[in-house]
Amino acid sequence: MEPRSIGFAVLAALLWSAPAHAQKATEQFIPIGQSPGLSGEYTYLGAIEAADIVARSITAGGRSVQVTERTRIWLDRSGAKQPNLVGSFDDLRAGHRVEIKYEDEARRERADWIKVQADQDQ
Amino acid sequence: MAKALSWSGRIRGVDIAALAGGFLCIFALAACEEPPLDPRAALIAKGREIFFNETFAGNGRTCGTCHRAEENFTLSPAFIATLPPDDPLFVAETNPELATLENPVLLRRFGLILENLDGFDDLENVFTQRGIPHTLALPTSVDSAQGPRTGWSGDGAPGDGSLRSFATGAVIQHFPKTLNRVPDVDFRLPSDDELDALEAFQLSLGRQDDLTLPMPLKDVVAARGQAIFLDNALGKCNACHFNAGANGNPAIFGADAGNLNFNTGVEDLPDQPADLTGERVPPDDGLGTPGDGTFNTPPAVEAADTGPFFHNNSVETIEGAVAFYNGDAFNNSPAGQLITGATGSGINLDATQTEEVAAFLRAINALENIRGSVALLEESAAQKHGPARATLALAGAETDDAIAVLAGAELSLEAVAHLRQARRLIDKAARSWFFRKRLTREAIEQQQMARAEIVEES
Repeated sequence: MEPRSIGFAVLAALLWSAPAHAQKATEQFIPIGQSPGLSGEYTYLGAIEAADIVARSITAGGRSVQVTERTRIWLDRSGAKQPNLVGSFDDLRAGHRVEIKYEDEARRERADWIKVQADQDQ
Repeated sequence: MAKALSWSGRIRGVDIAALAGGFLCIFALAACEEPPLDPRAALIAKGREIFFNETFAGNGRTCGTCHRAEENFTLSPAFIATLPPDDPLFVAETNPELATLENPVLLRRFGLILENLDGFDDLENVFTQRGIPHTLALPTSVDSAQGPRTGWSGDGAPGDGSLRSFATGAVIQHFPKTLNRVPDVDFRLPSDDELDALEAFQLSLGRQDDLTLPMPLKDVVAARGQAIFLDNALGKCNACHFNAGANGNPAIFGADAGNLNFNTGVEDLPDQPADLTGERVPPDDGLGTPGDGTFNTPPAVEAADTGPFFHNNSVETIEGAVAFYNGDAFNNSPAGQLITGATGSGINLDATQTEEVAAFLRAINALENIRGSVALLEESAAQKHGPARATLALAGAETDDAIAVLAGAELSLEAVAHLRQARRLIDKAARSWFFRKRLTREAIEQQQMARAEIVEES
Protein backbone atom coordinates (compact mmCIF):
# COMPACT_ATOMS: atom_id res chain seq x y z
CA MET A 1 0.00 0.00 0.00
CA GLU A 2 2.85 2.43 0.67
CA PRO A 3 4.02 2.91 -2.95
CA ARG A 4 0.39 3.18 -4.00
CA SER A 5 -0.21 5.80 -1.34
CA ILE A 6 2.64 7.83 -2.75
CA GLY A 7 1.26 7.35 -6.23
CA PHE A 8 -2.19 8.44 -5.16
CA ALA A 9 -0.71 11.49 -3.46
CA VAL A 10 0.81 12.50 -6.79
CA LEU A 11 -2.54 11.82 -8.42
CA ALA A 12 -4.23 14.05 -5.88
CA ALA A 13 -1.82 16.90 -6.49
CA LEU A 14 -2.32 16.66 -10.24
CA LEU A 15 -6.08 16.41 -10.18
CA TRP A 16 -6.68 18.97 -7.52
CA SER A 17 -5.53 21.97 -9.45
CA ALA A 18 -8.64 23.10 -11.31
CA PRO A 19 -10.55 25.77 -9.40
CA ALA A 20 -14.33 25.59 -9.20
CA HIS A 21 -16.18 28.13 -11.31
CA ALA A 22 -19.63 29.51 -11.03
CA GLN A 23 -21.61 28.93 -14.20
CA LYS A 24 -21.24 32.33 -15.77
CA ALA A 25 -23.41 31.80 -18.81
CA THR A 26 -26.78 32.39 -17.12
CA GLU A 27 -25.25 35.28 -15.19
CA GLN A 28 -25.70 37.29 -18.41
CA PHE A 29 -29.43 37.49 -17.79
CA ILE A 30 -29.33 38.51 -14.14
CA PRO A 31 -29.82 42.27 -13.78
CA ILE A 32 -27.21 44.43 -12.11
CA GLY A 33 -27.39 44.06 -8.36
CA GLN A 34 -29.33 40.79 -8.30
CA SER A 35 -26.64 38.13 -8.59
CA PRO A 36 -27.45 35.60 -5.86
CA GLY A 37 -24.92 35.39 -3.08
CA LEU A 38 -22.73 38.05 -4.69
CA SER A 39 -24.46 41.36 -5.24
CA GLY A 40 -24.18 43.78 -2.37
CA GLU A 41 -21.55 41.67 -0.67
CA TYR A 42 -18.84 40.61 -3.05
CA THR A 43 -19.26 42.86 -6.08
CA TYR A 44 -18.69 46.52 -6.78
CA LEU A 45 -21.83 48.44 -7.65
CA GLY A 46 -21.37 51.97 -8.90
CA ALA A 47 -20.11 54.14 -11.71
CA ILE A 48 -17.02 53.81 -13.86
CA GLU A 49 -14.73 56.71 -13.07
CA ALA A 50 -12.32 56.23 -15.97
CA ALA A 51 -11.56 53.76 -18.72
CA ASP A 52 -8.13 53.22 -20.25
CA ILE A 53 -8.43 51.32 -23.50
CA VAL A 54 -4.65 50.99 -23.93
CA ALA A 55 -4.14 49.46 -20.51
CA ARG A 56 -7.50 47.66 -20.76
CA SER A 57 -8.37 48.80 -17.30
CA ILE A 58 -11.12 50.80 -15.70
CA THR A 59 -11.25 52.78 -12.51
CA ALA A 60 -14.23 52.10 -10.31
CA GLY A 61 -14.69 52.79 -6.61
CA GLY A 62 -11.28 54.45 -6.59
CA ARG A 63 -9.55 51.27 -7.75
CA SER A 64 -8.00 50.33 -11.03
CA VAL A 65 -9.42 47.04 -12.29
CA GLN A 66 -7.85 45.05 -15.09
CA VAL A 67 -10.17 43.81 -17.84
CA THR A 68 -8.54 40.62 -19.10
CA GLU A 69 -9.21 38.29 -22.01
CA ARG A 70 -11.21 36.15 -19.59
CA THR A 71 -13.39 38.99 -18.32
CA ARG A 72 -16.99 38.67 -19.52
CA ILE A 73 -18.77 41.92 -20.27
CA TRP A 74 -22.56 41.99 -20.49
CA LEU A 75 -24.92 44.80 -21.39
CA ASP A 76 -27.79 44.85 -18.93
CA ARG A 77 -30.85 45.99 -20.88
CA SER A 78 -33.35 44.42 -18.52
CA GLY A 79 -34.53 47.88 -17.40
CA ALA A 80 -35.78 48.44 -20.94
CA LYS A 81 -37.28 44.93 -21.08
CA GLN A 82 -34.76 43.99 -23.76
CA PRO A 83 -32.51 40.92 -23.85
CA ASN A 84 -29.12 41.36 -22.24
CA LEU A 85 -26.23 41.15 -24.68
CA VAL A 86 -22.56 40.34 -24.68
CA GLY A 87 -20.55 43.57 -24.61
CA SER A 88 -16.96 44.62 -25.13
CA PHE A 89 -14.43 46.94 -23.56
CA ASP A 90 -15.83 49.75 -25.71
CA ASP A 91 -19.00 49.59 -23.64
CA LEU A 92 -17.11 50.49 -20.48
CA ARG A 93 -17.31 54.26 -20.39
CA ALA A 94 -16.81 56.80 -17.63
CA GLY A 95 -20.05 57.51 -15.83
CA HIS A 96 -21.71 54.24 -16.74
CA ARG A 97 -23.20 52.24 -13.93
CA VAL A 98 -21.64 48.82 -13.59
CA GLU A 99 -21.46 45.79 -11.38
CA ILE A 100 -18.04 44.17 -11.16
CA LYS A 101 -17.21 40.73 -9.88
CA TYR A 102 -13.53 40.33 -9.22
CA GLU A 103 -11.48 37.23 -9.92
CA ASP A 104 -10.12 37.53 -6.41
CA GLU A 105 -12.44 39.36 -4.03
CA ALA A 106 -9.64 40.17 -1.58
CA ARG A 107 -7.26 41.68 -4.15
CA ARG A 108 -9.84 43.26 -6.46
CA GLU A 109 -7.27 43.59 -9.25
CA ARG A 110 -8.90 41.77 -12.19
CA ALA A 111 -12.53 41.60 -13.23
CA ASP A 112 -14.16 38.22 -13.59
CA TRP A 113 -17.25 39.78 -15.13
CA ILE A 114 -18.68 43.25 -15.60
CA LYS A 115 -22.31 44.12 -16.17
CA VAL A 116 -22.93 47.53 -17.71
CA GLN A 117 -26.27 49.26 -17.54
CA ALA A 118 -26.93 49.65 -21.23
CA ASP A 119 -29.66 52.23 -21.52
CA GLN A 120 -27.70 55.15 -20.07
CA ASP A 121 -26.90 56.94 -23.33
CA GLN A 122 -30.47 56.93 -24.54
CA MET B 1 -89.10 12.44 24.02
CA ALA B 2 -89.82 14.30 27.23
CA LYS B 3 -89.36 11.05 28.94
CA ALA B 4 -86.20 10.42 27.21
CA LEU B 5 -84.78 13.84 27.97
CA SER B 6 -85.03 14.98 31.50
CA TRP B 7 -83.18 17.43 33.69
CA SER B 8 -81.62 14.54 35.33
CA GLY B 9 -79.15 14.87 32.56
CA ARG B 10 -79.68 11.56 30.81
CA ILE B 11 -80.94 10.73 27.32
CA ARG B 12 -82.11 7.13 27.22
CA GLY B 13 -79.40 6.21 29.58
CA VAL B 14 -76.71 8.33 28.03
CA ASP B 15 -74.98 10.86 30.21
CA ILE B 16 -75.47 14.31 28.68
CA ALA B 17 -72.28 15.57 30.24
CA ALA B 18 -70.36 12.73 28.67
CA LEU B 19 -72.08 13.32 25.33
CA ALA B 20 -71.33 17.01 25.43
CA GLY B 21 -67.79 16.27 26.39
CA GLY B 22 -67.50 13.92 23.46
CA PHE B 23 -68.82 16.54 21.05
CA LEU B 24 -66.48 19.10 22.55
CA CYS B 25 -63.58 16.75 21.99
CA ILE B 26 -64.61 16.19 18.38
CA PHE B 27 -65.00 19.91 17.78
CA ALA B 28 -61.73 20.58 19.51
CA LEU B 29 -59.97 18.00 17.38
CA ALA B 30 -61.54 19.37 14.23
CA ALA B 31 -60.51 22.88 15.12
CA CYS B 32 -57.10 21.78 16.23
CA GLU B 33 -54.47 22.62 13.65
CA GLU B 34 -51.38 20.59 12.90
CA PRO B 35 -48.68 21.29 15.47
CA PRO B 36 -46.48 24.15 14.31
CA LEU B 37 -43.43 23.10 12.35
CA ASP B 38 -40.00 24.01 13.61
CA PRO B 39 -38.42 26.74 11.49
CA ARG B 40 -36.25 24.34 9.50
CA ALA B 41 -39.18 22.03 8.74
CA ALA B 42 -41.28 25.04 7.73
CA LEU B 43 -38.55 26.22 5.38
CA ILE B 44 -38.28 22.75 3.84
CA ALA B 45 -42.06 22.59 3.40
CA LYS B 46 -42.02 25.98 1.70
CA GLY B 47 -39.17 24.81 -0.52
CA ARG B 48 -41.12 21.67 -1.46
CA GLU B 49 -44.10 23.79 -2.45
CA ILE B 50 -41.93 26.04 -4.62
CA PHE B 51 -39.99 23.12 -6.10
CA PHE B 52 -43.08 21.35 -7.38
CA ASN B 53 -45.50 24.21 -8.06
CA GLU B 54 -43.72 27.48 -8.77
CA THR B 55 -43.27 28.32 -12.46
CA PHE B 56 -41.57 31.67 -11.85
CA ALA B 57 -43.88 33.24 -14.44
CA GLY B 58 -42.13 31.24 -17.13
CA ASN B 59 -43.10 28.59 -19.64
CA GLY B 60 -44.96 26.38 -17.18
CA ARG B 61 -42.09 24.25 -16.01
CA THR B 62 -41.24 23.83 -12.34
CA CYS B 63 -38.15 22.29 -10.77
CA GLY B 64 -40.25 19.15 -10.41
CA THR B 65 -40.82 18.96 -14.15
CA CYS B 66 -37.39 17.40 -14.54
CA HIS B 67 -36.68 16.36 -10.95
CA ARG B 68 -39.70 14.13 -10.21
CA ALA B 69 -40.10 12.82 -6.70
CA GLU B 70 -41.38 9.45 -7.94
CA GLU B 71 -38.40 9.22 -10.29
CA ASN B 72 -35.67 9.80 -7.70
CA PHE B 73 -35.62 13.49 -8.60
CA THR B 74 -34.43 12.82 -12.12
CA LEU B 75 -36.06 11.51 -15.32
CA SER B 76 -35.48 8.38 -17.35
CA PRO B 77 -36.54 7.90 -20.98
CA ALA B 78 -38.96 5.20 -19.83
CA PHE B 79 -40.71 7.64 -17.50
CA ILE B 80 -40.68 10.39 -20.12
CA ALA B 81 -42.53 8.00 -22.44
CA THR B 82 -45.41 7.89 -19.95
CA LEU B 83 -45.95 11.67 -19.88
CA PRO B 84 -48.81 13.33 -21.75
CA PRO B 85 -47.95 15.51 -24.78
CA ASP B 86 -48.89 18.66 -22.93
CA ASP B 87 -46.49 18.04 -20.06
CA PRO B 88 -44.35 21.17 -19.59
CA LEU B 89 -41.28 19.05 -20.18
CA PHE B 90 -42.23 19.15 -23.86
CA VAL B 91 -42.58 22.93 -24.24
CA ALA B 92 -40.18 22.82 -27.18
CA GLU B 93 -42.74 20.68 -29.03
CA THR B 94 -45.80 22.71 -28.10
CA ASN B 95 -44.56 26.31 -28.07
CA PRO B 96 -43.04 27.61 -31.36
CA GLU B 97 -41.19 30.34 -29.42
CA LEU B 98 -39.26 27.59 -27.64
CA ALA B 99 -38.67 25.22 -30.55
CA THR B 100 -34.92 25.18 -29.94
CA LEU B 101 -35.06 25.16 -26.15
CA GLU B 102 -34.66 21.37 -26.34
CA ASN B 103 -34.02 18.70 -28.94
CA PRO B 104 -37.23 16.62 -28.64
CA VAL B 105 -35.64 13.57 -30.25
CA LEU B 106 -32.82 13.45 -27.73
CA LEU B 107 -35.08 14.41 -24.85
CA ARG B 108 -37.52 11.61 -25.50
CA ARG B 109 -35.09 8.90 -26.56
CA PHE B 110 -32.28 9.54 -24.08
CA GLY B 111 -33.60 11.96 -21.47
CA LEU B 112 -31.14 14.64 -22.57
CA ILE B 113 -31.68 18.31 -21.73
CA LEU B 114 -30.13 21.17 -23.68
CA GLU B 115 -27.78 23.44 -21.72
CA ASN B 116 -26.00 26.61 -22.88
CA LEU B 117 -23.10 26.27 -20.50
CA ASP B 118 -20.66 28.09 -22.74
CA GLY B 119 -22.88 31.07 -23.40
CA PHE B 120 -25.98 32.19 -25.23
CA ASP B 121 -24.36 33.97 -28.19
CA ASP B 122 -24.79 31.15 -30.69
CA LEU B 123 -27.79 29.11 -29.65
CA GLU B 124 -27.76 26.96 -32.77
CA ASN B 125 -24.21 25.75 -32.38
CA VAL B 126 -22.99 26.27 -28.83
CA PHE B 127 -24.82 23.99 -26.43
CA THR B 128 -24.50 20.66 -24.69
CA GLN B 129 -26.92 17.79 -24.16
CA ARG B 130 -26.88 16.45 -20.62
CA GLY B 131 -28.81 14.01 -18.50
CA ILE B 132 -30.73 15.27 -15.47
CA PRO B 133 -28.71 14.74 -12.29
CA HIS B 134 -30.77 13.59 -9.32
CA THR B 135 -30.90 15.86 -6.30
CA LEU B 136 -30.49 13.18 -3.64
CA ALA B 137 -27.81 13.20 -0.92
CA LEU B 138 -26.76 16.74 -1.78
CA PRO B 139 -25.44 17.39 1.77
CA THR B 140 -22.78 14.79 0.95
CA SER B 141 -21.89 15.76 -2.59
CA VAL B 142 -21.74 19.52 -3.22
CA ASP B 143 -18.96 20.79 -0.99
CA SER B 144 -15.37 20.82 -2.10
CA ALA B 145 -12.22 22.51 -0.89
CA GLN B 146 -12.53 24.85 -3.85
CA GLY B 147 -16.14 25.78 -3.33
CA PRO B 148 -19.49 24.24 -4.12
CA ARG B 149 -19.85 21.97 -7.13
CA THR B 150 -23.29 21.79 -8.67
CA GLY B 151 -24.56 20.19 -11.86
CA TRP B 152 -22.66 17.69 -13.99
CA SER B 153 -19.53 19.78 -14.40
CA GLY B 154 -19.62 21.37 -10.97
CA ASP B 155 -20.25 24.84 -12.35
CA GLY B 156 -24.01 24.80 -12.73
CA ALA B 157 -24.86 27.82 -10.62
CA PRO B 158 -24.49 31.55 -11.34
CA GLY B 159 -23.83 34.10 -8.61
CA ASP B 160 -21.69 32.58 -5.91
CA GLY B 161 -21.88 29.13 -7.51
CA SER B 162 -23.73 27.63 -4.55
CA LEU B 163 -26.60 25.17 -4.47
CA ARG B 164 -28.73 28.08 -3.25
CA SER B 165 -27.96 30.04 -6.41
CA PHE B 166 -28.47 27.05 -8.69
CA ALA B 167 -32.21 27.68 -8.99
CA THR B 168 -31.61 31.12 -10.47
CA GLY B 169 -29.57 29.64 -13.30
CA ALA B 170 -32.09 26.84 -13.79
CA VAL B 171 -34.96 29.32 -14.18
CA ILE B 172 -32.99 31.29 -16.78
CA GLN B 173 -31.94 28.17 -18.69
CA HIS B 174 -35.06 26.04 -18.54
CA PHE B 175 -38.09 28.20 -17.66
CA PRO B 176 -38.20 31.10 -20.18
CA LYS B 177 -41.24 31.96 -22.23
CA THR B 178 -38.96 33.02 -25.09
CA LEU B 179 -35.28 32.62 -25.78
CA ASN B 180 -34.77 36.36 -25.23
CA ARG B 181 -34.64 35.47 -21.57
CA VAL B 182 -35.63 38.92 -20.31
CA PRO B 183 -36.24 39.00 -16.55
CA ASP B 184 -39.78 40.02 -15.61
CA VAL B 185 -40.86 39.35 -19.19
CA ASP B 186 -39.86 35.76 -19.89
CA PHE B 187 -39.61 34.66 -16.25
CA ARG B 188 -39.10 36.16 -12.86
CA LEU B 189 -36.01 35.45 -10.82
CA PRO B 190 -36.40 33.63 -7.50
CA SER B 191 -36.36 35.87 -4.45
CA ASP B 192 -33.84 35.45 -1.65
CA ASP B 193 -36.50 33.79 0.50
CA GLU B 194 -37.38 31.37 -2.30
CA LEU B 195 -33.72 30.50 -2.83
CA ASP B 196 -33.35 29.82 0.89
CA ALA B 197 -36.39 27.55 0.87
CA LEU B 198 -35.38 25.70 -2.30
CA GLU B 199 -31.92 25.08 -0.91
CA ALA B 200 -33.33 23.76 2.37
CA PHE B 201 -35.71 21.43 0.55
CA GLN B 202 -33.05 20.06 -1.78
CA LEU B 203 -30.67 19.48 1.10
CA SER B 204 -33.38 17.49 2.88
CA LEU B 205 -33.66 14.92 0.09
CA GLY B 206 -32.21 11.45 0.48
CA ARG B 207 -29.13 10.48 2.45
CA GLN B 208 -27.79 13.05 4.86
CA ASP B 209 -24.54 11.20 5.57
CA ASP B 210 -22.10 8.98 3.78
CA LEU B 211 -21.99 5.25 4.44
CA THR B 212 -19.17 3.62 6.35
CA LEU B 213 -17.72 0.77 4.34
CA PRO B 214 -17.27 -2.14 4.37
CA MET B 215 -20.78 -3.28 5.27
CA PRO B 216 -21.49 -6.88 6.34
CA LEU B 217 -23.35 -7.78 3.15
CA LYS B 218 -24.88 -11.26 3.09
CA ASP B 219 -24.91 -11.91 -0.64
CA VAL B 220 -21.54 -13.34 -1.64
CA VAL B 221 -21.57 -11.67 -5.05
CA ALA B 222 -22.35 -8.23 -3.65
CA ALA B 223 -19.83 -8.76 -0.85
CA ARG B 224 -17.11 -9.64 -3.37
CA GLY B 225 -18.11 -6.58 -5.37
CA GLN B 226 -17.66 -4.44 -2.27
CA ALA B 227 -14.19 -5.88 -1.71
CA ILE B 228 -13.22 -5.09 -5.31
CA PHE B 229 -14.72 -1.61 -5.00
CA LEU B 230 -12.56 -0.91 -1.95
CA ASP B 231 -9.40 -2.54 -3.28
CA ASN B 232 -6.95 0.18 -4.39
CA ALA B 233 -5.11 -2.36 -6.52
CA LEU B 234 -8.13 -3.82 -8.28
CA GLY B 235 -11.35 -1.82 -8.53
CA LYS B 236 -9.79 1.43 -7.31
CA CYS B 237 -13.32 2.86 -7.07
CA ASN B 238 -12.98 4.06 -3.48
CA ALA B 239 -10.35 6.61 -4.42
CA CYS B 240 -12.91 8.92 -6.01
CA HIS B 241 -16.15 7.43 -4.65
CA PHE B 242 -15.07 7.29 -1.02
CA ASN B 243 -17.50 5.04 0.87
CA ALA B 244 -19.44 4.86 -2.39
CA GLY B 245 -20.26 8.54 -2.11
CA ALA B 246 -19.30 11.50 -4.26
CA ASN B 247 -16.15 12.63 -2.51
CA GLY B 248 -12.47 11.92 -2.87
CA ASN B 249 -10.84 9.56 -0.41
CA PRO B 250 -9.48 11.87 2.32
CA ALA B 251 -6.44 9.64 2.77
CA ILE B 252 -5.54 10.42 -0.84
CA PHE B 253 -6.95 13.83 -1.54
CA GLY B 254 -6.88 15.42 1.92
CA ALA B 255 -9.45 15.66 4.66
CA ASP B 256 -11.35 18.57 3.13
CA ALA B 257 -11.12 17.62 -0.54
CA GLY B 258 -14.80 16.82 -0.83
CA ASN B 259 -16.29 16.53 -4.30
CA LEU B 260 -13.79 16.43 -7.16
CA ASN B 261 -13.82 16.93 -10.90
CA PHE B 262 -12.17 14.47 -13.31
CA ASN B 263 -11.81 14.01 -17.02
CA THR B 264 -12.66 10.32 -17.23
CA GLY B 265 -12.98 10.17 -21.00
CA VAL B 266 -16.74 9.69 -21.20
CA GLU B 267 -16.76 12.12 -24.12
CA ASP B 268 -14.35 9.79 -25.94
CA LEU B 269 -16.62 6.74 -25.76
CA PRO B 270 -17.15 5.32 -29.25
CA ASP B 271 -20.61 4.88 -30.75
CA GLN B 272 -22.36 7.11 -28.23
CA PRO B 273 -26.11 6.46 -28.45
CA ALA B 274 -27.07 10.12 -28.96
CA ASP B 275 -24.57 10.43 -31.82
CA LEU B 276 -26.17 7.46 -33.58
CA THR B 277 -29.37 9.42 -34.08
CA GLY B 278 -27.74 11.88 -36.45
CA GLU B 279 -28.95 14.73 -34.25
CA ARG B 280 -26.50 17.51 -33.52
CA VAL B 281 -24.64 16.75 -30.28
CA PRO B 282 -21.67 19.11 -29.86
CA PRO B 283 -18.81 17.90 -27.66
CA ASP B 284 -19.25 18.75 -23.99
CA ASP B 285 -16.11 20.37 -22.58
CA GLY B 286 -17.16 20.19 -18.93
CA LEU B 287 -16.08 22.65 -16.25
CA GLY B 288 -15.53 26.28 -17.23
CA THR B 289 -15.63 28.26 -20.45
CA PRO B 290 -13.81 27.05 -22.42
CA GLY B 291 -14.09 23.82 -20.52
CA ASP B 292 -11.26 21.76 -19.13
CA GLY B 293 -12.96 18.46 -19.96
CA THR B 294 -13.73 17.57 -16.34
CA PHE B 295 -17.00 16.56 -14.71
CA ASN B 296 -17.75 16.14 -11.05
CA THR B 297 -18.23 12.86 -9.25
CA PRO B 298 -21.81 11.79 -8.52
CA PRO B 299 -22.55 9.56 -5.52
CA ALA B 300 -22.44 5.85 -6.30
CA VAL B 301 -24.98 4.83 -3.63
CA GLU B 302 -27.90 6.23 -5.61
CA ALA B 303 -26.55 5.11 -9.00
CA ALA B 304 -28.34 1.82 -9.64
CA ASP B 305 -31.83 3.31 -9.81
CA THR B 306 -30.95 6.65 -11.41
CA GLY B 307 -29.59 5.62 -14.78
CA PRO B 308 -28.83 6.21 -17.60
CA PHE B 309 -25.30 7.03 -16.58
CA PHE B 310 -22.70 9.79 -16.94
CA HIS B 311 -23.31 13.40 -17.93
CA ASN B 312 -24.58 12.47 -21.38
CA ASN B 313 -26.67 9.42 -20.46
CA SER B 314 -24.40 7.39 -22.71
CA VAL B 315 -24.60 4.13 -20.73
CA GLU B 316 -27.89 2.46 -19.89
CA THR B 317 -27.10 -0.10 -17.19
CA ILE B 318 -25.18 -0.08 -13.93
CA GLU B 319 -23.13 -3.02 -15.24
CA GLY B 320 -22.24 -0.93 -18.29
CA ALA B 321 -21.32 2.00 -16.06
CA VAL B 322 -18.87 -0.17 -14.09
CA ALA B 323 -17.53 -1.71 -17.32
CA PHE B 324 -16.80 1.79 -18.64
CA TYR B 325 -13.80 1.98 -16.29
CA ASN B 326 -12.28 -1.12 -17.89
CA GLY B 327 -12.34 0.34 -21.37
CA ASP B 328 -9.97 2.41 -23.46
CA ALA B 329 -12.00 5.60 -23.11
CA PHE B 330 -11.33 5.66 -19.36
CA ASN B 331 -7.90 4.11 -19.23
CA ASN B 332 -6.58 6.50 -21.91
CA SER B 333 -8.26 9.53 -20.29
CA PRO B 334 -6.39 12.01 -18.07
CA ALA B 335 -7.98 10.42 -14.99
CA GLY B 336 -7.23 6.90 -16.23
CA GLN B 337 -3.63 7.80 -16.98
CA LEU B 338 -3.19 9.28 -13.53
CA ILE B 339 -4.62 6.11 -11.99
CA THR B 340 -2.16 4.10 -14.06
CA GLY B 341 0.69 6.35 -12.99
CA ALA B 342 -0.32 6.18 -9.35
CA THR B 343 -1.01 2.46 -9.08
CA GLY B 344 1.03 0.93 -11.87
CA SER B 345 -1.96 -0.18 -13.90
CA GLY B 346 -5.31 0.92 -15.19
CA ILE B 347 -8.60 -0.66 -14.21
CA ASN B 348 -9.07 -4.03 -15.85
CA LEU B 349 -11.91 -5.95 -14.25
CA ASP B 350 -13.19 -9.10 -15.90
CA ALA B 351 -16.87 -9.66 -16.57
CA THR B 352 -17.46 -11.49 -13.30
CA GLN B 353 -15.77 -8.74 -11.32
CA THR B 354 -17.65 -6.04 -13.20
CA GLU B 355 -20.93 -7.69 -12.34
CA GLU B 356 -19.84 -8.13 -8.73
CA VAL B 357 -19.11 -4.42 -8.33
CA ALA B 358 -22.46 -3.67 -9.96
CA ALA B 359 -24.13 -6.14 -7.58
CA PHE B 360 -22.58 -4.27 -4.66
CA LEU B 361 -23.92 -0.99 -6.03
CA ARG B 362 -27.33 -2.59 -6.46
CA ALA B 363 -27.28 -3.85 -2.86
CA ILE B 364 -26.38 -0.49 -1.30
CA ASN B 365 -28.90 1.26 -3.55
CA ALA B 366 -31.60 -1.12 -2.33
CA LEU B 367 -30.59 -0.47 1.28
CA GLU B 368 -30.93 3.25 0.63
CA ASN B 369 -34.33 2.64 -0.98
CA ILE B 370 -35.40 0.74 2.13
CA ARG B 371 -34.12 3.49 4.42
CA GLY B 372 -35.97 6.08 2.39
CA SER B 373 -39.13 4.01 2.18
CA VAL B 374 -39.23 3.37 5.93
CA ALA B 375 -38.75 7.09 6.59
CA LEU B 376 -41.64 7.88 4.25
CA LEU B 377 -43.84 5.22 5.82
CA GLU B 378 -43.16 6.62 9.27
CA GLU B 379 -43.92 10.11 7.98
CA SER B 380 -47.18 8.92 6.46
CA ALA B 381 -48.29 7.40 9.75
CA ALA B 382 -48.27 10.85 11.31
CA GLN B 383 -50.24 12.45 8.47
CA LYS B 384 -53.91 12.82 7.66
CA HIS B 385 -55.35 10.57 4.99
CA GLY B 386 -54.86 12.79 1.95
CA PRO B 387 -51.22 13.73 2.50
CA ALA B 388 -50.55 10.21 3.78
CA ARG B 389 -51.66 8.70 0.47
CA ALA B 390 -49.18 10.90 -1.41
CA THR B 391 -46.40 9.95 0.99
CA LEU B 392 -47.33 6.27 0.72
CA ALA B 393 -47.11 6.57 -3.06
CA LEU B 394 -43.53 7.80 -2.74
CA ALA B 395 -42.74 4.98 -0.29
CA GLY B 396 -44.18 2.60 -2.87
CA ALA B 397 -41.95 4.08 -5.58
CA GLU B 398 -38.89 3.61 -3.35
CA THR B 399 -39.94 0.02 -2.73
CA ASP B 400 -40.41 -0.57 -6.45
CA ASP B 401 -36.88 0.72 -7.01
CA ALA B 402 -35.47 -1.62 -4.37
CA ILE B 403 -37.25 -4.55 -6.01
CA ALA B 404 -36.03 -3.55 -9.46
CA VAL B 405 -32.38 -3.07 -8.55
CA LEU B 406 -32.21 -6.37 -6.66
CA ALA B 407 -34.33 -8.48 -8.99
CA GLY B 408 -32.50 -7.00 -11.98
CA ALA B 409 -29.45 -9.04 -11.00
CA GLU B 410 -31.26 -11.79 -9.08
CA LEU B 411 -29.77 -10.55 -5.83
CA SER B 412 -31.12 -11.21 -2.32
CA LEU B 413 -34.29 -12.82 -3.59
CA GLU B 414 -35.60 -13.34 -0.05
CA ALA B 415 -35.34 -9.60 0.40
CA VAL B 416 -37.24 -9.12 -2.84
CA ALA B 417 -40.05 -11.30 -1.49
CA HIS B 418 -40.31 -9.15 1.64
CA LEU B 419 -40.23 -6.01 -0.47
CA ARG B 420 -43.02 -7.30 -2.68
CA GLN B 421 -45.08 -7.97 0.43
CA ALA B 422 -44.26 -4.49 1.72
CA ARG B 423 -45.42 -3.09 -1.62
CA ARG B 424 -48.77 -4.88 -1.33
CA LEU B 425 -49.21 -3.57 2.22
CA ILE B 426 -48.41 -0.03 1.12
CA ASP B 427 -51.08 -0.25 -1.57
CA LYS B 428 -53.59 -1.56 0.96
CA ALA B 429 -52.65 1.16 3.45
CA ALA B 430 -53.20 3.83 0.80
CA ARG B 431 -56.70 2.49 0.16
CA SER B 432 -57.68 1.89 3.78
CA TRP B 433 -59.53 4.43 5.92
CA PHE B 434 -59.46 2.39 9.11
CA PHE B 435 -56.34 0.18 9.05
CA ARG B 436 -53.85 2.48 7.37
CA LYS B 437 -51.53 2.80 10.34
CA ARG B 438 -51.52 -0.92 11.10
CA LEU B 439 -50.84 -1.77 7.47
CA THR B 440 -48.10 0.85 7.37
CA ARG B 441 -46.48 -0.70 10.43
CA GLU B 442 -46.60 -4.10 8.78
CA ALA B 443 -45.04 -2.65 5.64
CA ILE B 444 -42.23 -1.22 7.74
CA GLU B 445 -41.68 -4.64 9.31
CA GLN B 446 -41.42 -6.21 5.86
CA GLN B 447 -38.92 -3.53 4.83
CA GLN B 448 -36.86 -4.27 7.93
CA MET B 449 -36.94 -7.99 7.16
CA ALA B 450 -35.80 -7.22 3.63
CA ARG B 451 -32.93 -5.17 4.98
CA ALA B 452 -31.95 -8.03 7.29
CA GLU B 453 -31.70 -10.31 4.24
CA ILE B 454 -29.26 -7.92 2.56
CA VAL B 455 -26.98 -6.94 5.42
CA GLU B 456 -26.08 -8.37 8.81
CA GLU B 457 -27.73 -6.26 11.48
CA SER B 458 -25.25 -4.77 13.92
